[in-house]
Amino acid sequence: MLRKDRLGVPGRGAIATAGVVAATASAGLGAAILALLITAFGARGGCSGAPVGAPGSIALGAPGTGQLVGATEYGGPGDPSSGTTGASGADLLEHPDSYAELGGYTFQTATAMGGLPYMTPLRVTWGDRSAIAYKRDFGFGGGPIAGLPRVIDLWWQFAVALGVPYDSGLWSGAVRIERPPDAGAGNVLGQASVTGGMLSAPASSAGDPGACAPALAGVPLTPGQRARVLPDGRAAAPQDAPPAVRQIIAAGNQIVGKPYLYGGAHGLPLSQVAAAYDCSSSVEHLLYGARLLPVSYDAPSGELESFGVPGLGRWITIYANPDHVFMYVAGLRWDTHDAAGAGDGSTGIGWHPLVRSSAGFVPRHPSGL
Amino acid sequence: MRVLVAGIACSLVLGGCLPLTGARPATNAQSSKLAQAQATHEYPSPPPARQNVAAASATAPQAIRAFATAYINWTAGTVAADSRTLASESIGQARSMMTLAAAQTAQDYELQRGGIANRGTVEATAPLRGSRDRYVVITRELTTATNTSAYQGLRPGWHLAIATVTQLSPGRWVVSAWQPES
Repeated sequence: MLRKDRLGVPGRGAIATAGVVAATASAGLGAAILALLITAFGARGGCSGAPVGAPGSIALGAPGTGQLVGATEYGGPGDPSSGTTGASGADLLEHPDSYAELGGYTFQTATAMGGLPYMTPLRVTWGDRSAIAYKRDFGFGGGPIAGLPRVIDLWWQFAVALGVPYDSGLWSGAVRIERPPDAGAGNVLGQASVTGGMLSAPASSAGDPGACAPALAGVPLTPGQRARVLPDGRAAAPQDAPPAVRQIIAAGNQIVGKPYLYGGAHGLPLSQVAAAYDCSSSVEHLLYGARLLPVSYDAPSGELESFGVPGLGRWITIYANPDHVFMYVAGLRWDTHDAAGAGDGSTGIGWHPLVRSSAGFVPRHPSGL
Repeated sequence: MRVLVAGIACSLVLGGCLPLTGARPATNAQSSKLAQAQATHEYPSPPPARQNVAAASATAPQAIRAFATAYINWTAGTVAADSRTLASESIGQARSMMTLAAAQTAQDYELQRGGIANRGTVEATAPLRGSRDRYVVITRELTTATNTSAYQGLRPGWHLAIATVTQLSPGRWVVSAWQPES
């Protein structure tokens, strides 16, 4: 089902119901009434004693991190025009932990978050609560919300569970979204050949330019398994590389050529593009590009001696010691010194095709890469 | 490797091990190995020693179910030992992979600190079309963590792996390759 996203006018009954909700909420009984509403509308949902993950259950958790984006809610008594069936065919009343990716009138064009596959989980944080929702729908969306790109539409029961006020389906605001780690033994052990898709940044034209994470769509590709330095200093990612490697290269391309500044970018969220970087902050920015570090990670080079797992990686190897850190990504060296080789004195931050001595450094790599 | 090849060539010549008459098959084999080494820069090594397994199953599906069930049911405290056990009960790539997993998980700080665990069931196995020894394995798994909220609220997910089995002797099947695809 394709929704027009807030363009319909709710019926009288819906308005009346929403009015009761709003009034009751102000009286402090909102949670109980909202729970009742959820029960009524989600009568086909989970039953008592159902196992973890049964249809209908929404497990609340502590607030997550992730990217701040514009969100809306849809469905429920105030928004009957949205119906109860997602574009994926899923019954949203049976699966209230649902969201729609916005941006277009078709699955192929509703790609405000990079075009996530159906059932992609996202941790959505609003206030001091978070919960996992799954993509079961898409929608057209609209303009920015509070200066943030509008990328996600939350099914109303999910929004209510998070504590978002039900405003006849007209609520809009900012939430944080992030991909939970890939689950399952093969993924946790780093042995699966296909990992979950990565969350791409919303279109930055309508968003906050300071909070733009790299998008895979803009990464140049090169055949084979080795990255290649382009004439403009960016790197082309190998076509055969896993998505995480391409994400790292995309993150590097964001900051290629930034001036070196000792202490630069430290203290800032890794999602931001800073004016200058030093060795550790630049490496951490790249690792965050593949969500291999939390957005708040901020550490000197020595702490990267314990990153990931020991030894050389198939795609990525980080060399760290208390004085410096650099890394190899698909055969290219990411470094803040000696672009042309050992001792050349350059300090350009970027991709370098030449290897350097790794004596005195501890090699580490992300598990599975 | 080139030094090795050169050494072998020198020993063949200087050692006078090229007989003037007789034993032609051996000479052909030697020169064939040498020719192969010169062409590929690899000197053929003898076949690896046969791998002994701690346990085997009566049928291929039983071997796959046993391996898969153990592969997806572990906690941070048991995963290293479980991986070692799986390594001892498999051969080939599966053994190598599980040996590596045992080593990595034993010192995986994040895994231990997060109290990560995985549990699940084997939902289906079926032979791959056109292959006698390869099976597709469908599992349904839930990953949890006691000391991090990263997995909190995630539903059980479907996962797919490709298993290869080998018959060691009649009634003794083991997993020889295991590739989780998702």
